[in-house]
Amino acid sequence: MLRVAKSFRDGAGFDTMLVAFALGYLVLFSGFPLVYNLVMSFQSVDLFSLASFDRPFVGLDNYYDVLSRPEAWGIFLNTVKFVGISVAAQLAIGFALALFFQQDFPGSTWLRGLFLAGWIMPALVVGAVWSWILAGDFGVLNHLLMSFGLLEDRVFWLSDPDVALYSVIIANIWLGVPFNMILLSVGLAGIPADIYEAAEMDGANGVQRFFTITLPMMRAQLGAVISLGVIFTLQQFDLFAALTQGGPSNASNVFQYWSWQLSFQHYEIGVGSVISVLMILFVILVAAVYVRSTRHEHVA
Amino acid sequence: MDLKSVVLASSGLVAMATGALADQVELDLWTIDDPGEYHYVMADEFMAKHPDIKINVRTVQFEDMVNDLARGVATGDAPDITYIDNPEVALFASRDLLLDLRPYIEKSEIVDADDIFPGPLASVTYEGGIFGIPRGANTIALYYNADMFREAGLDPDDPPSTWDELYEAAKALTKPQENVYGLAFSAVATEEGTFQFLPWLQMTGGDYDTVNTEGAVRTLKLWKAFIDEGLASPDTLIRGQWDSTGTFNAGTAAMSISGPWELPRMSSEAKFDFRAALLPVPEEGAERASALGEGDNVILASTDNPDEAFLFLEFLYANMDRVWNDFGYLPASEVEVKDPKYPEIYAVFAESMKYARNRGPHPEWPRISQAIQAAIQSTLTGQSSPEEALEAAQTRIDKVLK
Repeated sequence: MLRVAKSFRDGAGFDTMLVAFALGYLVLFSGFPLVYNLVMSFQSVDLFSLASFDRPFVGLDNYYDVLSRPEAWGIFLNTVKFVGISVAAQLAIGFALALFFQQDFPGSTWLRGLFLAGWIMPALVVGAVWSWILAGDFGVLNHLLMSFGLLEDRVFWLSDPDVALYSVIIANIWLGVPFNMILLSVGLAGIPADIYEAAEMDGANGVQRFFTITLPMMRAQLGAVISLGVIFTLQQFDLFAALTQGGPSNASNVFQYWSWQLSFQHYEIGVGSVISVLMILFVILVAAVYVRSTRHEHVA
Repeated sequence: MDLKSVVLASSGLVAMATGALADQVELDLWTIDDPGEYHYVMADEFMAKHPDIKINVRTVQFEDMVNDLARGVATGDAPDITYIDNPEVALFASRDLLLDLRPYIEKSEIVDADDIFPGPLASVTYEGGIFGIPRGANTIALYYNADMFREAGLDPDDPPSTWDELYEAAKALTKPQENVYGLAFSAVATEEGTFQFLPWLQMTGGDYDTVNTEGAVRTLKLWKAFIDEGLASPDTLIRGQWDSTGTFNAGTAAMSISGPWELPRMSSEAKFDFRAALLPVPEEGAERASALGEGDNVILASTDNPDEAFLFLEFLYANMDRVWNDFGYLPASEVEVKDPKYPEIYAVFAESMKYARNRGPHPEWPRISQAIQAAIQSTLTGQSSPEEALEAAQTRIDKVLK
């Protein structure tokens, strides 16, 4: 008896308990919905059978159904573009700003803090603000561009099928830059200053120092920022709801929004689940990369 | 009063209250109204007349109603009475979730199904049963800015009555340098887009089950011309009716296709002579059609108190004449509306109501509607020709209908 109690105080019992808690939490709040979602993707589910168990299995029918729809390929490409461009631009701008604020000029920390204002705003609010900026007939952006003579005619940012997706991307980049900047600033601050001093004494110029010291030392941070960026971008839903609703004609639709539309607007919940299963698979892949890159950090 | 008598008096009150509660029937009512609007007002009046019935009113967002009801039904937590949009009646009726009111109506001295306008009545009829009573009705017509008509040299007493006239008027009224569009309507990829499109299709002989028609092609070509030629804003593709009529009220669109629900806002925002006309027809003498909106009061099959619930529906029906004057909906049956606000506009909508036709009804309505929206959007964005887009829509609709 005493042994068991002791083991709970500091021993294998205590460790097991901690692990059990974490595992239990994971199974209940992550594992169960995941499996439930996976099961639904193989069933014929609608609104009224959602809470019952009377749902016939249909094999891969849902997968075939949704992937053979004419809009599927375009929406897939949009998702790739949305994630690719957003993450690349957020990283580039975020990194540039982090390097800039690393220069320690007066007021740099204060200014850096100001950037976070955009990040803490709810995406739906950001979406509403951007929808005023991007509005076609009376939008702020069109007004500015036209009064500076940069534009002849109004651009219909949200209703022109060639532009709509990029409008959402612009808003999303704006939303994601502060997060990238802060994480990368932390990484930059962690690089010992004497390495730079030594390199400078050896005659390395700024560009050489960036490529031989900064980049390699930032590998772990960059890996983490990229994989988190991909995951956050794949989760981005509110901006689509606020700006274009995936339109016009799916020109700005992406998988995450489509999945919601299928499930909760068209009540094709089985088919909507298929999309989320595909996205989960992809996110697991990205998460693996993230875990690898943080593990790397511990070793270093 | 000393302490003892206070205690005695309050325990007496408690006893009275519990006594009253014991034989009081409680009904749960879900609505899309906010406190102070239709269902709340009517429930209060009803409770004042029937102290033995208590109605618990709860507001549910319009977009969430179907989801919340489905969840409520699944968990046994559904209300007794609820309000649903008219295309959803078939969905719920087909799952045996709604009480068939036909036997109650046949016994009723207040509700007579023959008095309800055919469109609203058809929207609550499913396989021979009557599953709801329309709370009111809605439809669309053409609002126009008579001041702009005069400025452009058009006769405000002779609004466009055919599609060609509408197109010519829109052209004459468009002033790009002043940011004024000729026409505002909604082609958004939601139920509202379907709602605006169907009357055009129905006027040319098509309907939700036959969309690959000449008439539908003509409609989409005309709609595309409106947008491509700058007579309507490109944002028509992403704007709902409320927003598009907002541009009319602000004076940046000379005409707007929308419904009577806009009138309260229009009367306060629009600083010009606004009027309404029937929706233009394809050509002189063609069949008329108009959209049918507004929802229905239904009783769920799971209710424990169907008689009291029906009593409340009868009370609502008996007050049908107030829906226009007090609440801004058109009545769903012939009633005497004494001194309507905006008598001319009321006359237009009342006339339009005669041609109002259903969306569906079909239990899979959302999927049919979505196929139609896809055809509208892919044509207007130039991704496919109207013929191809409508053919694709027809294929999808056939799959749902079979």
